[in-house]
Amino acid sequence: MTLSPDFPIKKVLIANRGEIAVRILRSCRDLGIDTVAVYSDADRNALHVRFANEAFPLGGNTPAESYLRGDAILAIAKQCGADAIHPGFGFLSENGAFAEAVEAAGLRFIGPSSHAMAVMGDKLASRKAMVAADVPVVPGGTDAVKDAAAAAEAAEEIGYPVMLKASAGGGGKGIRVVENPEEIETAFTTASGEAQNAFGDGRMYVEKYLVEPRHIEIQVLGDKHGNVLHFGERECSLQRRHQKLIEEAPSPVIDEATRQRMGSAAVAAAKAVDYVSAGTVEFLWSKGEFYFLEMNTRIQVEHGITEEVYGVDLITQMIRVAGDETIEDCVGLIPRGHAIEVRLNAEDPENNFLPSLGTIRNLRWPGGPGVRIDSSVYRGMDVTPYYDSMLAKLIAYGRDREQARRRMLRILQELHVGGVKTSAGVALQLLQTKGFREGNYDTGFLERYMEDQDAREVARDLPDDLEEIAVMVAAIYRQRAGARRHIKPTADGHATNSWVAQARREQHGGQVR
Amino acid sequence: MKYFLKTQSGREFELEISAGNADSYSIKIGDRTIQADFTDVDRLGQHAAIFDGRSFAASIEESDEQHLLVNIAGETFTIIAQDEREKAADAVASQGPPRAEVVKASMPGVIVSLAVAAGDVLEPGAPVAVLEAMKMQNEVACLHGGVVEEVLIEAGQSVEANQPLIKLAPAPQE
Repeated sequence: MTLSPDFPIKKVLIANRGEIAVRILRSCRDLGIDTVAVYSDADRNALHVRFANEAFPLGGNTPAESYLRGDAILAIAKQCGADAIHPGFGFLSENGAFAEAVEAAGLRFIGPSSHAMAVMGDKLASRKAMVAADVPVVPGGTDAVKDAAAAAEAAEEIGYPVMLKASAGGGGKGIRVVENPEEIETAFTTASGEAQNAFGDGRMYVEKYLVEPRHIEIQVLGDKHGNVLHFGERECSLQRRHQKLIEEAPSPVIDEATRQRMGSAAVAAAKAVDYVSAGTVEFLWSKGEFYFLEMNTRIQVEHGITEEVYGVDLITQMIRVAGDETIEDCVGLIPRGHAIEVRLNAEDPENNFLPSLGTIRNLRWPGGPGVRIDSSVYRGMDVTPYYDSMLAKLIAYGRDREQARRRMLRILQELHVGGVKTSAGVALQLLQTKGFREGNYDTGFLERYMEDQDAREVARDLPDDLEEIAVMVAAIYRQRAGARRHIKPTADGHATNSWVAQARREQHGGQVR
Repeated sequence: MKYFLKTQSGREFELEISAGNADSYSIKIGDRTIQADFTDVDRLGQHAAIFDGRSFAASIEESDEQHLLVNIAGETFTIIAQDEREKAADAVASQGPPRAEVVKASMPGVIVSLAVAAGDVLEPGAPVAVLEAMKMQNEVACLHGGVVEEVLIEAGQSVEANQPLIKLAPAPQE
């Protein structure tokens, strides 16, 4: 893609770090736009600093001391003559006040308006806006009911199964799933009684109960001329405590008709807030129905899989849109093939996914057909406690889902990260489960997999005797280490062994070189 | 040389390695003998292993010489590998009186809270502090337990990886 010579953005300051800063920088460079990096003390050696045309220090280590300092970042942008600021994700990306300050200073904010951020950032306001725009939301849950009759009436309107939730709520008390009308009176009485005892408040909410919910989101892109397009869905159900681990596009459960229905709903959601730039509308999907969850008013971590299947560069589109261009060249794009992303995090899955800090002592990247690595990692990098633990995004693209899955298996086998523990091993296991192979998983899948080792249904692609192989490797490694201790090079470079050294010690009265 | 190995799955193995020419070895495991060719690729942990013609890219990291992390084809195995002398020494140590212990920080971070004070008696595995890094909280626990002799840090303090946090004296014998 080439920009017209009078395109208004010539220099972009990237107000972020890590993988996404490098990702944005790459699109800028491909467009011939100059890049400006900002960095904390801890990130002095980071790739986003080394790859940028200009780099300026923010000082400090924690986000509050560095990447959250909007005023300092804006001052740098003005001083170095940047035309625009890309906020990436996290940090200042959904900070409406920052977006306004950037625009007020005469620079362009590469993202949506502060109005869109404000509405979508508020649970109640966004729900109201979605209902007005005819976007489906999870039914119920807005008004408390005070007796069983009112609960039954609400449940009838919502449709079974429903969930009764204590208005005061917490700790799993006062919650009941009700499958049919016969059960609701008893369920209300017991749950309400429980809530009355626990919280002194017996009022209940009635909400649609979603069976085996999946997290499916739609990528949207809007321009300043009123156009909004969608780029299909991403399946993000393999997550744990709202941290996604594996994503794929398209979703194994979405057919073309549903894709168009969800896409239209997402476009309606975006238009309801005059959305400009890239954004993501998250839905919960259950048994063929979908419900608005929230909208993320920024580029998202997993945007790369959408880029692969739609053949689009979303960062480039965000920059073009910020420069007043239209998105008309994206009209009519259709998804081709299948993409899977694994988030490579510095964390220890065996130890409750806690961060694994240290120095990247060794690194071997995968390569070859269908492989994309978006990363900011280099050998010698310190993984510090100050920022999130994502090291890289591994993306496999294939003509179909099985080819993409096999490529991801290969990627995870070719990959080696030495010095910290990573999520690669558990991702490799998940890709071999029956659930993943069949595309049959929901948002509880990963949690259940980690907690119940006996219930794991795995059809392995890898050899079954790897444990034994690893043990043989360990034994030979020890044997060699033992042999090395007996033959150490001396200062003059000649190998000697402990017997010779001992003889010398005796000869020279303890003087050993 | 004979080696006794244990993996995180609890399986135990007994192997005998004999070195041949250069990088070749023969491995006795159960009633099988396997011919191995084994090279150190980069002196940073990557190794190339060929066992009876089957080829593997192996990566090895050691926390100490007996505790190894071995990655084969993307799967990581935590292995304790001991020779005969080490196994015997371990058996003796486990029968002896409990040892004094220093609880160290598992990673750099900030001590959010302290669960113990000097004089407390701790069971094996008891939590001593909560350590925060990357916005995640991690419980730090002792291994053998004992009597808290000295608390070396304060809540709110930043600590380095492996920094001593608590000193424990052996628990009084019944």
